[in-house]
Amino acid sequence: MKVILKIALGIIAAIGGFLDIGDLVFNTQAGALFRYDLLWAVVLGTIGIAVYAEMSGRVAAVSGRPVFDVIRMRMGFGLGLVALIASTAVNLLTVAAELGGIAIVLELLLDAPYSMFVVTGAIALVAIVALLPFGGIERFFGYGGLVLFVVVATVFHQNPDWGAVAHGFVPSLDSSTLYLYFVVGVFAAALMPYEVHFYSSGAIEEGWSEENLKENRLNAILGYGIGGVLSVALVIVSGYLFHPIGVEPSDLGTVALPMQGAFGETGLLLALGGILFCVGGAAIDSSFAASYNLAQFLGWEWGRYKGPRKAPRFTASWLVFLLLGIAIAQSGINPVEITEYSVVFSVVALPLTYLPVLLIAGDRSFMSEYANGRIAATLGWLYFAVIVVLSLAAIPLLLATNGGGG
Amino acid sequence: MSGTGRKRVRSSALGLFLAAALLLTSAGCGDLSNDELNRGVESLSALAGQGQLVANGVARDATKATYARVMARTLGETADHEAEKLADATLEEAETEDQRHAAVAVAAEISALLSELQTFPGDEHHGELVEKHLAEAQEKADAIVAQLSGDAP
Repeated sequence: MKVILKIALGIIAAIGGFLDIGDLVFNTQAGALFRYDLLWAVVLGTIGIAVYAEMSGRVAAVSGRPVFDVIRMRMGFGLGLVALIASTAVNLLTVAAELGGIAIVLELLLDAPYSMFVVTGAIALVAIVALLPFGGIERFFGYGGLVLFVVVATVFHQNPDWGAVAHGFVPSLDSSTLYLYFVVGVFAAALMPYEVHFYSSGAIEEGWSEENLKENRLNAILGYGIGGVLSVALVIVSGYLFHPIGVEPSDLGTVALPMQGAFGETGLLLALGGILFCVGGAAIDSSFAASYNLAQFLGWEWGRYKGPRKAPRFTASWLVFLLLGIAIAQSGINPVEITEYSVVFSVVALPLTYLPVLLIAGDRSFMSEYANGRIAATLGWLYFAVIVVLSLAAIPLLLATNGGGG
Repeated sequence: MSGTGRKRVRSSALGLFLAAALLLTSAGCGDLSNDELNRGVESLSALAGQGQLVANGVARDATKATYARVMARTLGETADHEAEKLADATLEEAETEDQRHAAVAVAAEISALLSELQTFPGDEHHGELVEKHLAEAQEKADAIVAQLSGDAP
């Protein structure tokens, strides 16, 4: 009974912690611009992150090695360094975007200057990390993020044309560059590299072993899967409300408008609260991922469970990443723009993150009986092919569409 | 490397940097094409649509005043920025001058309406009026888009 409860709590935390500012922005914009036509890309991305999160969690549980350790081991110092630089740049942009997201929501709720909230938001995150244990941090943001299920309730309240919604799950290839740009964006937002960096390091933080493999599989499949439902719901509510009147959401606050339309002030507050927990959790995840990667690559002591005394360089680097994130968020660039760039640039770093995971997870000499089975290997390689194609297309599409501006 | 060689590398790097800086600073300062004008007016229509949804929340007393105020301010600033961009640019095609003037006027109208919403984020009557007038502004913007794309009756 205790095990079932633990698994259920893990799944709930994964659902709530699935969405970040990238998902919120890209899914809402995708719905506004293309109505339900990109729902299939959301599903594709969700399955992809579940497949790779399961693999990275399995590798961590069996070998005690997190993703970046595996990258360095499998790719050597040179390519490992390239992966470190690329993922650190993307993680830093993500930290800045999430901090900006926290500040925007607080500004919408309290109407005080954005710049003040960037700093107070970061201080609040430091306090939460200092006060709560690792599992507590995950649960705090994961459970808080669950209020975003108001988006699913909004879908049923809107009662859209279900035939058109169902049609959106069938892959279609529009030839417009803007459509292709959003396919890349929606897919990449679901597969941000920090998610597997954090997931696998978190498995080590929580002391996972072979005994936790069932928990790992259920967390990855059900947690990310049900989290994907939230992404799908965001596309639907946006497609229903924004598409017919030509609204192009350019601000995080716009994401909450459909819930206000459906349930008034209560819907608005639940949506803003859910967004706050999601971007807060993602700010922690991405900043931790940046310091995990650095510490694992350089062979430092790392881990929240070790505390600042036993892992001083890890703790200091986390604070530095947070400070750099504050500096970028304060630069005056719209966090939504930072998000778009971080998501699209992350696609370029994806192969360097996922290939080593795929190789190690399938290596029988390393993983013995826990190596990838036929389904995991097939899905893994299929997704890797998709990732390579998208990583080649990402930057040309970013330039061709003027950063999604059309 | 010799001192002269280092200097040459430095001056080429500086030249490259200046060329890149010039390219970056001049980006967006060129003539406004018909397509860009069209996109600018479309984004005004989108802003008016977004403003209507915010105003609708105020009209129904179904929103939080701080949210309505901050959203109205943010959208208003974007409308101002769009108006400045349209007013400052030189048109590639002189025959679209009338549409450009009309678009600047619509942007100013949207900005003024959002400013009113920002001042009265808790007043249902104002919310109702602003929503109605923003719908009219959106129709005007859509009419300009139709003219620019040759779809106007």
